[in-house]
Amino acid sequence: MKLEVKDITTAYGEALVEVAKFYSNIVVLDSDIADSCKTEAFLRAFPKRSFDLGVAEQSLPTIAAGLSLVGKIPFYNSFAVFAVSRGVDMIRQSVAYNNANVKIVGHAAGQSMGYTGPSHHTLEDISILRAIPNITILSPCDAVETTQMVWKMAETEGPIYLRLARATVPNFHRVNYKFEIGRTELLKEGTDITIFVTGDMVVLAMEVHDVFASQGISCKIVNVPTIKPINVEEVIKHGQGTLGALTIEDHSILGGLGSTIAEIYAEFLQKPVKRLGIPDVFTESDDAAVLRLEYGLSVDLVIRLAREIL
Amino acid sequence: MKHFTKKKALDPIGDEEKNRELKLYAIRHRQKLLKLGKDLGIRLHYGASTSCVEILTILYKFWMTYDSEEPQWNDRDRFVLSKGHAAPSLYITLSSCGFFPDSEFKNFRRLHSMLQGHPDRKKTPGVESSTGSLGQGFSVAAGMALGGKADGASYKVYVLISDGECNEGSVWEAALISANYKLDNFIVLLDWNKKSSYGEMKGRNDVAPLEEKWQAFGWNVIMCDGHDFISLTQMLENAENAKDQPSILLCNTIKGKGIPYVENNRTPANFALSDEQYNEAMTYLKKLEVEIGL
Repeated sequence: MKLEVKDITTAYGEALVEVAKFYSNIVVLDSDIADSCKTEAFLRAFPKRSFDLGVAEQSLPTIAAGLSLVGKIPFYNSFAVFAVSRGVDMIRQSVAYNNANVKIVGHAAGQSMGYTGPSHHTLEDISILRAIPNITILSPCDAVETTQMVWKMAETEGPIYLRLARATVPNFHRVNYKFEIGRTELLKEGTDITIFVTGDMVVLAMEVHDVFASQGISCKIVNVPTIKPINVEEVIKHGQGTLGALTIEDHSILGGLGSTIAEIYAEFLQKPVKRLGIPDVFTESDDAAVLRLEYGLSVDLVIRLAREIL
Repeated sequence: MKHFTKKKALDPIGDEEKNRELKLYAIRHRQKLLKLGKDLGIRLHYGASTSCVEILTILYKFWMTYDSEEPQWNDRDRFVLSKGHAAPSLYITLSSCGFFPDSEFKNFRRLHSMLQGHPDRKKTPGVESSTGSLGQGFSVAAGMALGGKADGASYKVYVLISDGECNEGSVWEAALISANYKLDNFIVLLDWNKKSSYGEMKGRNDVAPLEEKWQAFGWNVIMCDGHDFISLTQMLENAENAKDQPSILLCNTIKGKGIPYVENNRTPANFALSDEQYNEAMTYLKKLEVEIGL
């Protein structure tokens, strides 16, 4: 069956308007790129609840923290590299330490800004935020999951980071899907190897699944929409029936999903783990699809690494 | 207990008794600070904690609206100590206003204490935002003012920043944002003691001229004597009446005010007073007490 495709960022922008009709205290902070972040619909719908701070990304976390401390639910928006890295200390001190009800939305994460080059690629946001207490890290794989996450972010108190890839992807989920913070999701059952995957890399994992199936290899696919807090019990359960794990993420292999899964495997399962992601290098400019092949996010490499486990 | 005032400047003649009462608070505040360091045998930021005593005193003992028994009361004025290293002075002020008992000081900066080394919103009643990383409390307070203005709320947001803190770029980002959003419910008090951690700022990491800088950023800039209650209230009244722009009081202060050794010598930012220095300060403060007629 052919799945409907939709842009993740557009889904976010549409969801924000819908959720804000229900939560009158939601406000949106922009950083001069409301067009890229698809928050213009919100601006049109709620002009008095929309604040553009200009090119002042290190003020996004602090101004948002202040807004939350007087009862607002601020969603602040920038490219992920600036939404997180630019104001790490502000996130640590003013958002997380305050346990402020701030929603950080990082756009065009991973290498999805392709041609703009490594200054705009976000490959360490998960690693950075994982080490800071109180922060929840969400990474949707399609438009439906993105929409669900925006609802959950509004109803859940505390700092939450939403990591959005700039990607148009098939909707793996039906509209009645109910996302829950802190749960993993079994997309395909399998008995030989478990693939843990997050974000739009689910597309790649599903391709791998089909290639494996044609080779007689049974591959379990687990979507990990909540990277922190990770559901340790569910990761163990998904790992118990297979020979080992493979992780796929559009992020550095240091500190992200792969590290998270490897930590759990080392402590509880003692089975091999292979991490697929961006090696510890600064990337270069090109089309995002070209970059993914260059840095190893390809079906061929996944299969080669999987063979080392099988 | 709810604390209200009319937010009117003190009259130098008519309010002589109030002024005297506030001066006594300030003396006792400094005595408490000295005793805290002495009793616990710890190092403190004496210079930065004493230059802002009158500023904290005027806000909490006279100017702001709050309820120490209901610290989260929605209509309260907000205060953020952006220069978080002056935490001991904030704690002394809050405890004297009834936010928590004095007995908490015996566990100051110890495990499980409500009084952390720098302000912690989650632990200390009356602390509006955790601070300690300079330049951020100012920006968080701007966010509070932005939210308050959007709601048409009656409360004001006050923030105390230092001159050394103005070396932080984030201060100037938030200064621009506050002016762009015309945050006339936002009042900044700058503790202009001319010294940062490593000494005199002039010729080293100077932020002057501050008046022209803040004016250029679109602020209502008011010069003020940061150790004089009459001046502080006159300038606060001016700030309260500003329309469509945020206000900043450039409060001229002396680092180490009330502790002769710190006033007159270059000291480390965080240090312990010797017995001799402690006794000298206590004697000096006692003399001031007598002078104002206790």
